[in-house]
Amino acid sequence: MKNIKRMLRIHRIFMAQEFKRMMEYKGDFIVGIIGFFLVQLSNLMFLWIIFGQIPDLAGWSVNEVVFIYGMSLIPKGIDHFFFDNLWSVGYFIVRKGDFDKYLTRPVNTYFHVLVEKIQIDALGELIMGIALVCVSAPGIRADWDAFRVLAFIAVIPFVTLIFTGVKTITASVAFWAKRSGNVIYMFYMFSDFAKYPTTVYNRLVQNVITYIIPFALTSYFPALFILKGENPLFNLGMPVLASAVLMGAGIMVWHKGIRAYESAGS
Amino acid sequence: MKRKLKIYLPFVNAGMQEVATYRVNWIFFMLGEALSCFVTYFIWAAVYSSGDKESMNGFTMPQMIVYIVLMFLTGTIIASDGAYVVGEEIRDGSIIMRMIKPVSYNATFLFQELGNKLPTEIAIAAPMIITVEVIRTMISGVLQFNALSLILYLFSCALAYLISFYFNICFGFTAFVIKYLWGANMMKNVVVGFLSGAVVPLSFLPGVLEKVFLFLPFASLNYTPVMIYMGKYTGAQLLYYIGLQVFWVLFFFGLSKLLWRISVKRLSSQGG
Repeated sequence: MKNIKRMLRIHRIFMAQEFKRMMEYKGDFIVGIIGFFLVQLSNLMFLWIIFGQIPDLAGWSVNEVVFIYGMSLIPKGIDHFFFDNLWSVGYFIVRKGDFDKYLTRPVNTYFHVLVEKIQIDALGELIMGIALVCVSAPGIRADWDAFRVLAFIAVIPFVTLIFTGVKTITASVAFWAKRSGNVIYMFYMFSDFAKYPTTVYNRLVQNVITYIIPFALTSYFPALFILKGENPLFNLGMPVLASAVLMGAGIMVWHKGIRAYESAGS
Repeated sequence: MKRKLKIYLPFVNAGMQEVATYRVNWIFFMLGEALSCFVTYFIWAAVYSSGDKESMNGFTMPQMIVYIVLMFLTGTIIASDGAYVVGEEIRDGSIIMRMIKPVSYNATFLFQELGNKLPTEIAIAAPMIITVEVIRTMISGVLQFNALSLILYLFSCALAYLISFYFNICFGFTAFVIKYLWGANMMKNVVVGFLSGAVVPLSFLPGVLEKVFLFLPFASLNYTPVMIYMGKYTGAQLLYYIGLQVFWVLFFFGLSKLLWRISVKRLSSQGG
């Protein structure tokens, strides 16, 4: 308990530090937010154009597709906001030998890396995601009840950790390979599949994104529950289970990796 | 001319060595990029099977597959790092090292990047062109390969690369204003991607927008070479679009020279 309190306090101090840094470079964070906003806007234009051609996409209405799309951005944005530092581990912290710093501090290395930075750019994704969910929800014929909405909100932290877990495992590869930025990138790109209803993909892709690199669990399956009330055990249980497995594996690989870490030559 | 070659060829060599060092890294990056192609493919497949039309805005499903593959290939051929490199050098002041050397700033970049690209592009272009031809042949039952289209495509790609190169150099100078290079570059890539047809073929856009976008320099980047390979531009139209590409090469070449002149005057380097 005391330990958790201490960690929370450290987290707060780091956050405050980050906000000071951001205030120093105000222009930067506006550029970043607008940038991520534009990425989403371009994807929405794509959706708008294809829905100009067809009434529904493989049985999904515009509103449902937009809902799933927005839903996929929320956990992605939260992970991006809090845990962006993992990319730096993969791209340069290990390669340059800067990881030494974390080893000399009296906190858990993984915790330290996670809380050290926040990425304000992520608001571009997060705000867009929330907006899309809110805009599309009224147009969907579904029996919304309090339980469904609450369950849906409760599952968001877990699905966020699916992103964090995948990033942690792939970032840890850097401890052996010196750099793994593009390994993170490759696996992270699987989250692109989560933007659309999983049924548009073929069987192989469906299995990969449900059971192996399970980004479909971050948007499609929870959405299936809230939209249709189907199979809560699988649609909500699997994301929770997957996040626990991935985070557990991630933390294990990370600590194994630290033992293999051998700083930079110079 | 011979002297020039002697000066700039070592840069090509340096670029090639760079790429050999980071080979594995590059493969993972390309795999990541390719994933978004697969997503696009599945979405279009669903679009064509949900609609009742066989052809949409001049594209049938097989043509759309060819379009996606070619867009990906063309995108990698014309990609240029100039914006980032120039921006970084402006930010950390190392751009002054370029000013004191008796070689052209832009030309050294160009040759280094060519060295970077040649081995990788040959490694991916050949298999991808073969893939496109296999797909087309399997669907239509006859070999559609046309050597002339391929040559024209490669020629158009070369022009597109030059546009991309000089455009990126010009964009790099925004580092004088925006210090967050990564963010600025992402913004640029998204806008350019959309305007150049990488997200959706320009013929899917409303009439007026399509006309405007076709004239803008960005359609000259990806869209024109791909349309040429697919045989959609012929005769006078072909000449017009290649002429437009030449125009934009010259435009951005001139602009980059101008920006370079201006920046030499206003550069204040930190501790450089």
